[in-house]
Amino acid sequence: MKMDVVIAGVGGQGNIFASLVISQYAMNKNLNVSGAETIGAAQRGGSVVSHIRMADGPIYSPLISRGQADLLVGMEYIEMLRHLRLLNPRGTYLLNAMKIQTVLSNMGMDEYPSPEEILRAVRNYCPRGYVIEASALAKKLGNIQMTNVVMLGALVKVLPFFDYDEIKWLTNANSPSRFKEANVQGFEKGYKLIPA
Amino acid sequence: MGEKNYVMGNAAIARGALEAGVRVVAGYPGTPATEIVDECLGVPGVHVQWANNEKVAFEICAGASLCHVRSMPVMKHNGTNVVTDFLMHVNFTGIRGGLVLISADDPGGLSSQNEEDTRILVHQYAHLPIFDPCSPQEAKAMVKEAFDLSERTELVFCLRPVTRVCHARGILEFEALPQSLPAAHYEPDRERFIMSAVEMPKFGGVKRPQIRHRWLNEKQPLLQEIMETSPYNWAEKGEGNVGFIGCGMGYTLFKEAEQYLSSKLPLLKLGTLPLPRKRILDFVKRLERVVIFEETEPLVEGMIKKIFQEEKVAVEVLGRSGFVPPEGELTLQMILDTVPRAAPQIKVTQPEVPTVAIHIPIRTRTQCIGCNYRGILNALKQTVRKYKGIVAGDIGCHDAGSFKPMELQSTIYCMGSSIPMASGMALAGVNRPVFAFIGDSTFYHNGILGLMNAATNKINVNVILGENTVTAMTGFQPHPGTGVTLTGEKTLSVQVPKLAESLGIRCRVVNPYDLKECRKALEAAVKEEGPSLIVSSMPCYLLSTRRGEKVFEPREVRIDSGRCSGCLICINDFGCPAISFDKPNKKVAIDPMICVGCGLCIDVCKRGAIL
Repeated sequence: MKMDVVIAGVGGQGNIFASLVISQYAMNKNLNVSGAETIGAAQRGGSVVSHIRMADGPIYSPLISRGQADLLVGMEYIEMLRHLRLLNPRGTYLLNAMKIQTVLSNMGMDEYPSPEEILRAVRNYCPRGYVIEASALAKKLGNIQMTNVVMLGALVKVLPFFDYDEIKWLTNANSPSRFKEANVQGFEKGYKLIPA
Repeated sequence: MGEKNYVMGNAAIARGALEAGVRVVAGYPGTPATEIVDECLGVPGVHVQWANNEKVAFEICAGASLCHVRSMPVMKHNGTNVVTDFLMHVNFTGIRGGLVLISADDPGGLSSQNEEDTRILVHQYAHLPIFDPCSPQEAKAMVKEAFDLSERTELVFCLRPVTRVCHARGILEFEALPQSLPAAHYEPDRERFIMSAVEMPKFGGVKRPQIRHRWLNEKQPLLQEIMETSPYNWAEKGEGNVGFIGCGMGYTLFKEAEQYLSSKLPLLKLGTLPLPRKRILDFVKRLERVVIFEETEPLVEGMIKKIFQEEKVAVEVLGRSGFVPPEGELTLQMILDTVPRAAPQIKVTQPEVPTVAIHIPIRTRTQCIGCNYRGILNALKQTVRKYKGIVAGDIGCHDAGSFKPMELQSTIYCMGSSIPMASGMALAGVNRPVFAFIGDSTFYHNGILGLMNAATNKINVNVILGENTVTAMTGFQPHPGTGVTLTGEKTLSVQVPKLAESLGIRCRVVNPYDLKECRKALEAAVKEEGPSLIVSSMPCYLLSTRRGEKVFEPREVRIDSGRCSGCLICINDFGCPAISFDKPNKKVAIDPMICVGCGLCIDVCKRGAIL
């Protein structure tokens, strides 16, 4: 058995927290785990992608190759698009409906595609997936930085591989004490974003 | 059985060093190596510090090693370049306590100004041994062994991890740390540790450098023998007469590729330099061709060609001299594209995936929203435009000012090159004001030398020091201007105005959140003859926010669309990601979700359309 997960987003969205929770979950299940983060040189605003590879056999490369990801988590529209071809077309995607402009699109020198165009391309590629308003919900709950825990909650409902109680426990355990309560709440609300 | 942890390659390297009993760790931050130093913190009796630059870090470690203490200098490839001068001496003297140099390469320049292969520098040039790990787990084992071997051979050993090892994560077993570390002691050995062009009576008057060179050369057979039986080199059987050699990550990627190949191919895993000559000869016995996957230069390829020539082995050797792409990091795709070209009977069955026919905008780098550099860069941009100035840039967060939209700095090379390059432009007689922009960590790294040179030679350059009090780009490491050490202990911070005073340079300190003040200082500097210094001083916004400290009073910023003419000065000369251009309406907009309310853009707008 193997489970390859890619989390794609923009620096500052909390990818790495989410990838650590997932990795710890797999470790607790006695699976082999490997992974990698690619982070740009800037502190914030660059593309950030985490690869998490879990298997009951050996894992060689820390990076997931073309068409191998079982789950692609997009924290932002074009970041998900950028890594779409890592996803197995029979896999699952989970997208946060959040648009973060680029420097060049801000200037009017580049065209940020419309959400409709992006979703059409994504659905053409992979029929199974969910688009949720995780950042909007996080903001409503008081802090847009909670997008990652909302996404974790949703992810648990999307794939039976993940166990609700254990991921919730790990979300709590990995949160700094002043954010514990809010993060667990974000996780629970994220779970409810996905229809039963 | 030790405790199991899921950690980054850099943490694995740190843990290996701690388990080996390292006592002094020093480095200069640089991706992908930075976390190795941080991860060594917190063990009693182990001194861990950031140094001004990599050469200083290395020399600290060499001093410790001569006192029989294990030490580890940590750096990225650019830093190893800086260390070269010392390396070309310590290779001749050798060391006492185990000294393991961590020289992390960044193939593909994922977070670097260049891509290079420091194996060439350390092994081909300095003739020192190297381990090239294929995973975090192997990196940890190699570091531990390198300390033992370094002491046994009296040579500096080097671990050369690449980004995909440093930033990979894996499950690692943590073993116990040594209960006690040996005490330091020093005995003079001047024939060895005084490197000088002195005649040696013992050797009939031959100069010492030649004798020490001979000493290093005579170590090579021992290194060769050690690597011949090293656990980091092994062969795997396979079908056919085309073999493959994977060095470090090259092996890992080949193993990943195997699932897509129609049969198991002969594979030799290499992780050491010198190469295990006999193992290589044994591996190619029934082969006609070998292909080498290594990061990044065709170094092992050339060495194997040499071995084959010496041994009269008629096996074709291919690799990164062109058969495999000679630039960029190795990828799985490169291997899958290469294998059938080398072994035509092999079928590759990689899952086909649909193409994604949609334009995907690129994210270029920029300063963080709220960053104080954006203020001084904007003021400089306007001054440069008015006086037709030229700006030489340097390494650090401010370098994003050289990209669109600002396109301010005209040159960026390596640490500290801004002030000397600007000096050269001034001396060339361009007849335009010349500026150098440098951040404070880079200034203390070696930029300070360029400033002294400009001062003593009275060169007409305008130096802008972006003093954000921390090495921000790599994750907020302290430097000599910070006032705290890596362990959080309070210490002195260099006072740049006093330094400028002692150099006889006119120094102006400005607040980068006050554009008028910045512009005034820049204009005054332009009109002055001789070197001048502007210190744009304000702590990094991101770090201050994290600490709950305010660097400005946040305010609600909005656009008066009646006044906005769509002139785009706020985008082209300032480029805050919170400001965007609404093309159909030809007006700009501020995204309240991401604006942090620094208010700098209010002064940038000439029409008063930003309130």
